[in-house]
Amino acid sequence: MSAIGLKFAPLQSRHVLPGFKLSLGFTLFYLTSLVLIPLLALVLRPASLGLEGFWDAISTPRVLASLRLSFGMALAAAIIDSIFGFIIAWVLVRYRFPGKRLLDAVIDLPFALPTAVAGIALSTLYAPNGWIGSLLIGYGIKIAYTPWGVLVAMIFIGLPFTVRTVQPVLSELGLEIEEAAATLGATRLQTISRVVLPMLMPAILTGAAMAFARGAGEYGSIIFIAGNIPAVSEIAPLLIVTKLEQYDYAGAAAIGVVMLAASFVMLLALNGLQSWAAKRR
Amino acid sequence: MTAKFRKPTEDPIWLKALLGGLAFGFIAVLLLLPLVLVFKEALAHGLSAFWATMTEPDTLAAVRLSLTAAAIAVPLNTVFGISAAWAIAKFDFKGKTFLVTLIDLPFSVSPVVSGLIYVLVFGAQGWFGASLADHNVRILFALPGIVLATIFVTFPFVARELIPLMVDQGRDEEEAAATLGATGFQTFLRVTLPNIKWGLLYGILLCNARALGEFGAVSVVSGHIRGVTNTMPLHVELLYNNYDYVGAFAVAALLAMLGLVTLVLKSLLEWRYAGELAAMHRH
Amino acid sequence: MSFLTVDSVAKKFGRFPALNGASFIAPQGGFVSLLGPSGSGKTTLLRILGGLEFADSGSVRFADLNWLDMPARTRNAGFVFQQYALFKHMTVADNIAFGLRVRPRHTRPSKAAITSRVKELLDLVQLPGLEGRYPSQLSGGQRQRVAVARALAIEPRMLLLDEPFGALDAKVRKELRADLRRIHDHTGVTTVFVTHDQEEAFAVADLVAVMRDGRIEQYGAPADVRRNPKTAFVSEFLTA
Repeated sequence: MSAIGLKFAPLQSRHVLPGFKLSLGFTLFYLTSLVLIPLLALVLRPASLGLEGFWDAISTPRVLASLRLSFGMALAAAIIDSIFGFIIAWVLVRYRFPGKRLLDAVIDLPFALPTAVAGIALSTLYAPNGWIGSLLIGYGIKIAYTPWGVLVAMIFIGLPFTVRTVQPVLSELGLEIEEAAATLGATRLQTISRVVLPMLMPAILTGAAMAFARGAGEYGSIIFIAGNIPAVSEIAPLLIVTKLEQYDYAGAAAIGVVMLAASFVMLLALNGLQSWAAKRR
Repeated sequence: MTAKFRKPTEDPIWLKALLGGLAFGFIAVLLLLPLVLVFKEALAHGLSAFWATMTEPDTLAAVRLSLTAAAIAVPLNTVFGISAAWAIAKFDFKGKTFLVTLIDLPFSVSPVVSGLIYVLVFGAQGWFGASLADHNVRILFALPGIVLATIFVTFPFVARELIPLMVDQGRDEEEAAATLGATGFQTFLRVTLPNIKWGLLYGILLCNARALGEFGAVSVVSGHIRGVTNTMPLHVELLYNNYDYVGAFAVAALLAMLGLVTLVLKSLLEWRYAGELAAMHRH
Repeated sequence: MSFLTVDSVAKKFGRFPALNGASFIAPQGGFVSLLGPSGSGKTTLLRILGGLEFADSGSVRFADLNWLDMPARTRNAGFVFQQYALFKHMTVADNIAFGLRVRPRHTRPSKAAITSRVKELLDLVQLPGLEGRYPSQLSGGQRQRVAVARALAIEPRMLLLDEPFGALDAKVRKELRADLRRIHDHTGVTTVFVTHDQEEAFAVADLVAVMRDGRIEQYGAPADVRRNPKTAFVSEFLTA
């Protein structure tokens, strides 16, 4: 406690309000024992492999294919979600229509629906005999049990992030800025492309980064629809589970470390975006 | 003269129809259709088949386990959230921003990795695996592991709702109470709590929904022992993989109902108490 | 010799009549203040002149133009908002140049011409050398000066200001008021200025229109209006 007390020394030595030591102490204890130490176990585990062993563990074709699939499809899903997220936010903020509140609430469905439920529902829907799958099979398009199934599931779980980051910023932006552009002679297209979109860009990128991070790490809603063919439609989180089932802890941890490093990078990027956005206020 | 032109900020009707159609269509196909399908499949063989699954001992055991895990994880994370928010909002100390980032960390970790870390600590080849086995303590493939994984994935929900809310509210009211002779506990109960109650409820609601619905992290630590360590979402997977589609969708429908109730309550809170929720101010 | 003729302009929002047939005329290069309490319709009238709202009935002529038949984009009326409405992601220079850069290629000035125009305008609003700043780095008064420069950059047929000093403190208001008058005299642009502050209206304008309930109660030179209030409302409003 004393070491922690030193590190988080309060700026003033005396407080009017009680509970500083108790609340901060409990917070740090809980955080350290439940989050930080287990994460440390993950980071340290591949050390037993050595640098070379670590590289061997993650550079097999199967692992590389799974990482490429998880991150590549997550990027594609984030881009698609950003486009539709912007359109949906625009419709929700700018247009008046009956049932708007309901539509607004429905956006959070992927947050509220457990991933396993979404997984079996999407899988059944896009299977060759499913409601959507049977329509597409006529055009020779297969979604379920292919990498495209991974994409559909990632689009599903990522959508709320992109809508919910853009929506409040758009509604705060107000109409005056567009009126100003119009009185200065800008066409509607110029107003949107030179004024509205640049002002929303930090929010759009933040939403995209969140959808990307969520998609890359997603497991439950994907494994049912993906078909999980090694090196084709097998996502990285599933490969971690497979390696654990084969008691290859170090191999699982190696992939886990790569995923964790990626989420750290995303977290840093998000913080950067946030301060960029704050500077604009 | 009649309105000959649209206002410069008003989209033409064809654009409204196009964007509205795209938004509605996307939401209907992507979000609503799966939901409809869950209920349709659950009742595909009638209510009696649905009911038969729901009253199966393994299903009931899964419900019980999920509720137990949530009943432990949610209160713990609530206490943590209040404690963290109190420390961060009411005091100044070095490393505050870093602490907030660390609290948010579990949200950016893949659920599977969230389970994996506990396997690496408590598993047979893990840090404490051998000594736990010597003392016959089971963490992995048992309730404690499931609770730990659930705590990890729901870790930030209450804290990240309360921190911005309490930072916004400042410390004037608490300081006033303290100068009037209130103890710390009285101050919290009578001054702070009434100010944050809706935000707290909101955080608990989201935390609980995720706790009951978590799949990936729990899947890694559970061991999938039917009727013993299978939570509701894991039971859905098991039934589905055994080609018991009606059973799988029946349990899924129960989970979907829980999700819908959460969504309704969440929306009600957002509409009614928008000013008292940090989530509504966050950009 | 009326140049701007506003004739019985009316506008309802839903069932609420915001304007009940407002009429006034102004000469070329005139400086008109629309003065009145909130809800008197002054902002609505200004927004109709700017093309941001549409009148239900009535007409506006500006020189030989049927003003209300033109969309905001082609009216070339510089509009200054109470909350500045600057483009926060653009520098001061980019804000001022915006109206010139969005012109179709054949009427767009060259880059060099735009740069020198921006410099000229910043000198005019007394912010020389601030080209590279962002709006967030400016004070409220400075932001409004930039907004005025931006509106003037398009060489507007008409300058419209909606409570432009409403968000500023008293000292800055006075400075800006004097500068606005100076800028008006320098450019000679026909100006319509909305305010609820009678001292401001009388100090800055050549003509004052006192508004109430969507109508113009009295219109004339500041001294005349002050000396001879025509209605009880005007005299009460002026002594308040």
